[in-house]
Parts: sequence; structure tokens; C-alpha cells
Amino acid sequence: MDDNDRVFKALADSTRRLLLDRLFERDGRTLTELCGELEMTRFGVMSHLRVLEEAGLVVARRSGREKHHFLNPMPIRLIHDRWIDKYTEPRAAALAQLKSRLEESA
Amino acid sequence: MTTTTPAQTQTTQIYQLFIRATPEQIWEAIVDPAFTVRYFHGARIEVQNGRRQAWGPDGEVWGDEAVLESDPPRRLVHGWSSRYDPELAAECDSRVTWEIEEREPGLCMLTLIHDQLEGAPKTAASVGGPGWMFVLSGLKTLLETGETMATG
Repeated sequence: MDDNDRVFKALADSTRRLLLDRLFERDGRTLTELCGELEMTRFGVMSHLRVLEEAGLVVARRSGREKHHFLNPMPIRLIHDRWIDKYTEPRAAALAQLKSRLEESA
Repeated sequence: MTTTTPAQTQTTQIYQLFIRATPEQIWEAIVDPAFTVRYFHGARIEVQNGRRQAWGPDGEVWGDEAVLESDPPRRLVHGWSSRYDPELAAECDSRVTWEIEEREPGLCMLTLIHDQLEGAPKTAASVGGPGWMFVLSGLKTLLETGETMATG
């Protein structure tokens, strides 16, 4: 399995995407903090975090006794850069913006 | 599909990526102005005599900070003040750490940590958007292909 396979596999699960959403809202959360927000066993959250770490989407750093989890956006950015160049970027961004604006006002 | 809300200001940001290059090549790309000018928004960055200084294309000062730790080719820690933008420059200084770890010969994991951003929310938002990702993606492309990235 190459690095991109790991990223796509990690993203192909709604719980793991939810964990990334939580870290996007507030980075550096501990396992206990993440467990508090999901109806799932501590073991379940741990195994999902491990898949995210192996894909490089989450980076864990120790500070004292605590392990903090950070969202690493680089793998997704590198996938983005592979298919979206500087000429496509503004158009894609404009369409994405239009979509969120229309959905907000709906 | 759920829409995501903008991230709150993060006081620690971490970026990590693999680069097919030796630690020495990555180190050189970080501290040599001839390299930085090709991927760091056109900035010429010099790291020497305990300072990290950055100049824009017209010679304007974009950064001038203390080097806090230097352990070539593994670890570089320096201050960060966003001198390229007056509004951001007025904020408190923050800190940038580069860590280079060789995983196998010619393949390194580069980790960039931008922290101590408590007093610099606008800087955090600025570097946290495409900011660092654009720079690091460009660094990877330059080292792996010798080309300047076509985005930006």
C-alpha cells in the first residue's frame, strides 16, 4: 500500500472523518477529550486514531504525561496539488464558495 | 454533505510530510537563500550568526528573528514575526521548529511546528490557511523534481 492508499483508506470512514473534523475545530486534543465526544469505546477511538496516524493525517505529540493529537493537513494538500494547478484553483475555489453560500442561505 | 466551519485559531500548528531527499539537502533548502527564493513566496532567507533573516523580492525586510536552536541537519528553531504585513507584524512573536528525520536512506520526514501563537491570532490564521502548506508543498516539489511548483 502506498502513502496515498493509506490516506484514502483512512478517509473512507465516517468516524475517522468525524475525528478529523473535531481536530479541525480544535487541535491538540487528548484521547480522553476525543472520547468524550463520540459514542464509542476508548479502544475504538484508539484504533481509528492509529489508522489516521499511519496515514499521516494525525500527528501525536507527547507533552509530559499527555499525548496530544494534531490534524496534519499536508497529505490532503499534496493530493490537492497533484490534480489542481494554479489555473484551476481559482475556478474550483469560486465554485466551492458559491456552493457554501447557496447552502447557507437555503 | 456537512460543511465545515472555519477552524478556530490554533495556538500550535503541525505540518508533516515525507520528502525524497537527504537530511543535508533539506537543511540546505531551508537555510540557503538561493533555494528559499524558489519556494518561499520569493523570499531570500538566510540563517547565520544566530539570526534568521528574510527579504522580499525588492529587498524589503520580511523577517528578522533569533535562531533559538540549530542542530544541522536535524533541527532548527527560530522566532517568527510576520514583518511582511504591518497588521500581522504588530502581533506578538511566535516560534517555528523544523525537524528532519531520516526514515530510510534518501527519504526523510519533515515536521514543521508553528507554536506560541497565543498572542498572534491573525498570524495563526494567515500561516494556517494555505500558508505553510503552500511553502512545504513547494519545498517538496523543488527537492524531488528540481522544479518550482506551478501553483501560487
